[in-house]
Amino acid sequence: MLPAAAEPAAGDSWGMLACLCTVLWHLPAVPALNRTGDPGPGPSIQKTYDLTRYLEHQLRSLAGTYLNYLGPPFNEPDFNPPRLGAETLPRATVNLDVWQNLSDKLRLTQNYEAYSHLLCYLRGLNRQAATAELRRSLAHFCTSLQGLLGSIAGVMAALGYPLPQPLPGTEPTWSPDPAHSDFLQKMDDFWLLKELQTWLWRSAKDFNRLKKKMQPPAAAVTLRLEAHGF
Amino acid sequence: MALFAFFQTILLLVSLSLRTCQSEVLSEPLPLTPESLDVSINSAQRCLHLQWRVHSLAYHQELKMVFQIEISRINTSNVIWVDYYSTTVKWNQVLHWSWESELPLECATHFVRIRSRVDDARVPEPRFWSNWSSWKEVNEQNSLGHKASSVFPVDKLVEEGSNVTICYISRSHQNNVSCYLDGVRMHVEQLDPNVSAFHVNNVAFVRETGTNIFCEMDPKDDAGTVLFVSKVLEEPKDFSCETQDFKTLHCTWDPGSDTSLVRKQPYQSYTLFESFSGEKRLCEHKNWCDWQIAQDSQEMYNFTLVAENYLRKRSVNILFNLTHRVRPMTPKVFFKNISATNATMTWRVHSTGNHRTLLCQIELHGEGKVIQQHNASIKVNGEYLLSELEPDTQYMARVHCGDANHFWKWSEWSGENFTTLEAAPSEAPDVWRDVKSELGNRTVTLFWKPLSKSHANGKIRFYNVIVENLDKPSELEPVPIPAPANHTKLALDQCSYRIHVTANNSVGTSPASVIVISGDPGNQVEEERVNVTADGFSLSWKPQSGDVTGYVVEWCDRPQDGSCDLQWENLGPNTTSTVISSDAFRPGVRYNFRIYGISTKRIAYLLEQKTGYSQELAPLVNPQVVMSNLTSHSFTLSWKDYPTETQRSFIRGYHVYLKPKEGQCHPGFEKAALSDNSVCCKYKIDKPEQKTFVVENLQPESIYEFFVTPFTSVGEGPLDAFTKVTTPDEHSHLLIRIILPTVFCVVLIMIVCYLNSQWMKEKCYPDIPDPYKSSVLSLIKSKENPHLTIMSVKDCIPDAIEVINKPEGSKIQFSGTRNSLTETEITKPAYLYLLPAEKNYSGPGPCICFENFTYNQAASNSGSCGHVPVPPTAPSQRGLLTSLENLLKALEKNYMNSQGEIPAGETTLNYVSQLASPMSGDKDSLPTDPPVPALCSEYKMQMAIPLGLASPPLSENSSVSSVTLLDQGDHHH
Repeated sequence: MLPAAAEPAAGDSWGMLACLCTVLWHLPAVPALNRTGDPGPGPSIQKTYDLTRYLEHQLRSLAGTYLNYLGPPFNEPDFNPPRLGAETLPRATVNLDVWQNLSDKLRLTQNYEAYSHLLCYLRGLNRQAATAELRRSLAHFCTSLQGLLGSIAGVMAALGYPLPQPLPGTEPTWSPDPAHSDFLQKMDDFWLLKELQTWLWRSAKDFNRLKKKMQPPAAAVTLRLEAHGF
Repeated sequence: MALFAFFQTILLLVSLSLRTCQSEVLSEPLPLTPESLDVSINSAQRCLHLQWRVHSLAYHQELKMVFQIEISRINTSNVIWVDYYSTTVKWNQVLHWSWESELPLECATHFVRIRSRVDDARVPEPRFWSNWSSWKEVNEQNSLGHKASSVFPVDKLVEEGSNVTICYISRSHQNNVSCYLDGVRMHVEQLDPNVSAFHVNNVAFVRETGTNIFCEMDPKDDAGTVLFVSKVLEEPKDFSCETQDFKTLHCTWDPGSDTSLVRKQPYQSYTLFESFSGEKRLCEHKNWCDWQIAQDSQEMYNFTLVAENYLRKRSVNILFNLTHRVRPMTPKVFFKNISATNATMTWRVHSTGNHRTLLCQIELHGEGKVIQQHNASIKVNGEYLLSELEPDTQYMARVHCGDANHFWKWSEWSGENFTTLEAAPSEAPDVWRDVKSELGNRTVTLFWKPLSKSHANGKIRFYNVIVENLDKPSELEPVPIPAPANHTKLALDQCSYRIHVTANNSVGTSPASVIVISGDPGNQVEEERVNVTADGFSLSWKPQSGDVTGYVVEWCDRPQDGSCDLQWENLGPNTTSTVISSDAFRPGVRYNFRIYGISTKRIAYLLEQKTGYSQELAPLVNPQVVMSNLTSHSFTLSWKDYPTETQRSFIRGYHVYLKPKEGQCHPGFEKAALSDNSVCCKYKIDKPEQKTFVVENLQPESIYEFFVTPFTSVGEGPLDAFTKVTTPDEHSHLLIRIILPTVFCVVLIMIVCYLNSQWMKEKCYPDIPDPYKSSVLSLIKSKENPHLTIMSVKDCIPDAIEVINKPEGSKIQFSGTRNSLTETEITKPAYLYLLPAEKNYSGPGPCICFENFTYNQAASNSGSCGHVPVPPTAPSQRGLLTSLENLLKALEKNYMNSQGEIPAGETTLNYVSQLASPMSGDKDSLPTDPPVPALCSEYKMQMAIPLGLASPPLSENSSVSSVTLLDQGDHHH
């Protein structure tokens, strides 16, 4: 130890550098130095928003592959079949006035519930997929969707909203209905992907709205100062 | 028994009586109408199952009948099928008949009716049809359920190549119905307002999720179905079973196409059935299945492999004796006793049961090729000695075994790599030498070629070189040279040396290669040219009689860059020719080959030397030609030889090109076209050693252009610029012969004259003193008479020149310097004091003096120029003194006056003209004795002398005939 103390080795230099870097890294976390304070749910909402956009992009590719796997007419761009067997899917479409007047809590709850259901359905879809490549893509997307669900849960926790508890025994499943013809089953798959796409569009708007709403009130202070001027 | 026989007879009689009775009945038309018609539907199979009875038959009556069945679709009048069914009908028998519809039964209502007719030979003609049964309606349209429309069949599974009819049913009337099969619109036929249908022949497999059929109409009511088209199940191919351990039979097959369809049909199943044991096993894998061999030593097996999917079954069968289906297990291989040339391979084949004899194949691979193949018969353990191996070589040996008695299949190969040990090098290295003598010492470079792998027998670590002095025996010291060096240098004196070179690896030493470096410098041989063939340089030499143990041919692979890269080839004593080829040979490079004979004492002596080109190339440069001996009719061209190294081919001679003056070639020249299409005269010099050429028969004062290029077997040198030469005129040489010496002489004279210019000047044109620049003037100016001036000569017009022939003894000569003047100032007259003596006086000699007497206007008192007559012999001193006094007075009076200001009557200038003042004696001292009288011819310049200074008190012993002012050394022009 003595020689090391007298003449620092190269390893000690690196250690000191690492220590310095660690200190610098943690400086923002030191309350006295952290001038920004608690960032609030803003960053979480931003991350959730970014995630929805990413999933939108990812789904576009996945849906293309899956609909080709189903074959025509499901992979045709103007195919718009009746929503026969997809009643159980959570609907993303909503009246504009209703959507605008949604409370933050309800907005987040709807998102959370929708993705919880959609995730279950998607996992069912994955189980039935015939090709390994498709199963891999679906599994990857499910993981991402799980991340989105966690992100939404994080925003809700940050805002102090409780997570909706699923009723026991009502776990949604996406298994082929024996009464359903295979064509209807394919229609369900089609609608699942379509509804998922719509939900991601809607969520992007939901979180964009929340993001704007949660911005720091700096602009409001400026406005008050201007009012005093009058 | 008797009772039984009795009853039997009774029954027969009754039966016969009844038959007789029936025959009577059948003779009349009977109302045998089908009754209790029941129609059931199998939608999946698109089948209608009909069952009915014929109640009218008597008890136990059997009657051959034919039934006519009519099937109508949509309505009863639309009969789509009429069929006849013949059968023997028994009493109370339920009859069955099925019909398969091409249209799914859900698509339309079907109606069925039936009638019958006796078709029995026992019934006489005419026979009549019964009445039709009532129409039976078959309706599956309820399958629509709550849906507004549907497409049928639903999720139908068919095989590839089937024909399928699809229908589209809606509750509302259909308009503009469009149906698509996998995106392709189909031709639809409307069966009724609510039903459309289309037919697909020979359906193809598209994807495992099925072929989608989608129909739409106006008003919008879409529906679809999936037609699952399965690939046709194939019969399993290459089905076989074998055992390795008599415990398990491993059966394999090629399953063929995958017939699975997503959510419809799983992968086809395979079931193994053994008929002798009656056991069955559903196989879990697509292409193999293991069957456990029972302990009861069943020998024969009859296996049936059944492939099955929802649509069909395919099966294959094999029957075999278990002992004929033995494939031994993969052996485990080991090596032992590996030496430089041998290795023992051992292997073990695990349990094939009952210690069966196995036939094994052993393969030895070296460098990727099979080099040995052996067979061995073993029970369980095998051993084989692999011999004739190369030392330090990696081999791979592998083995596989099969049943020797009933060969079925070889086992898997099992192999291992092994490397043999090293051995001492088996051959002496191939050694050659290069000897360079310099200042009595010799530098011998020994070269050796690396031993081939087969001779090195391992990694060569070093070479030992032993130098043995044959003239002075001494202790031999081996010098190790680490590999991979391939040469070493030795500095040797003029003694003979024997050099031993051995190669050494970790095991031992190779035989020594011996070479003797003789003290004899060796002979010189003439160089010859070598023949070149397509294979290389073809060398041959004269066979040497006597003790030649072999020949060596050496050459440099790279002579062009100076590195040489010495190569050699050893040849046997009976060889007198060889062909040398090398990838390093380049066209246009001269290669020299030296052929040495090797004596029994291992001394190499040069036999022949050959040179040649692998391919000759045209010269790239032309010689530097020097033109000389230019005359009006000829000139000489000469050039130097090329360095041999730069020659790209053998030079066979030279072409001298000369551009003719008037289109005619000189004798010996011939016309030739150059590469630039110009025509000129060419002279061919056939001897390459001729390096000069005289161009003759030229015209004087003419311009000729010449150009010299070498020619070879492949062409001549490049076309360079011609050099111009102009022949001189015919007489110019004569002129040169005259002018040059003349000019030389003139120049010589001029040089001589220049060197003796002073002398010449003195002799021929001495300087005329300039009175204005005389030092006298400065002295006068320093005196009190500032008006004194010097008379200009031009201002005086001499009126008489008197030539006086001075007697020798009367001539007064003055000499001396200023210094001497200073010393003699007191004793000598003043004017003498001012006149420096002549320098470089050559001595007394006879001369003629021309004297102008000084004119003194003041002395004459006449106011005009006059002359003072000087007595020819001894002028009176008085008179002279008087005149001098007058002169001095005049000078004192008028010194400061300028010439112009001086009034004519007051002119006091004296003019003394003189050429020279012959003086004798020491110039630094005044002559004390009268000079030796000499005849002189001299002209004395005249000058004006200030009167104040011109009062030379003549010494008594001096004889002065005139006043002479001599200053030859300091006069100025």
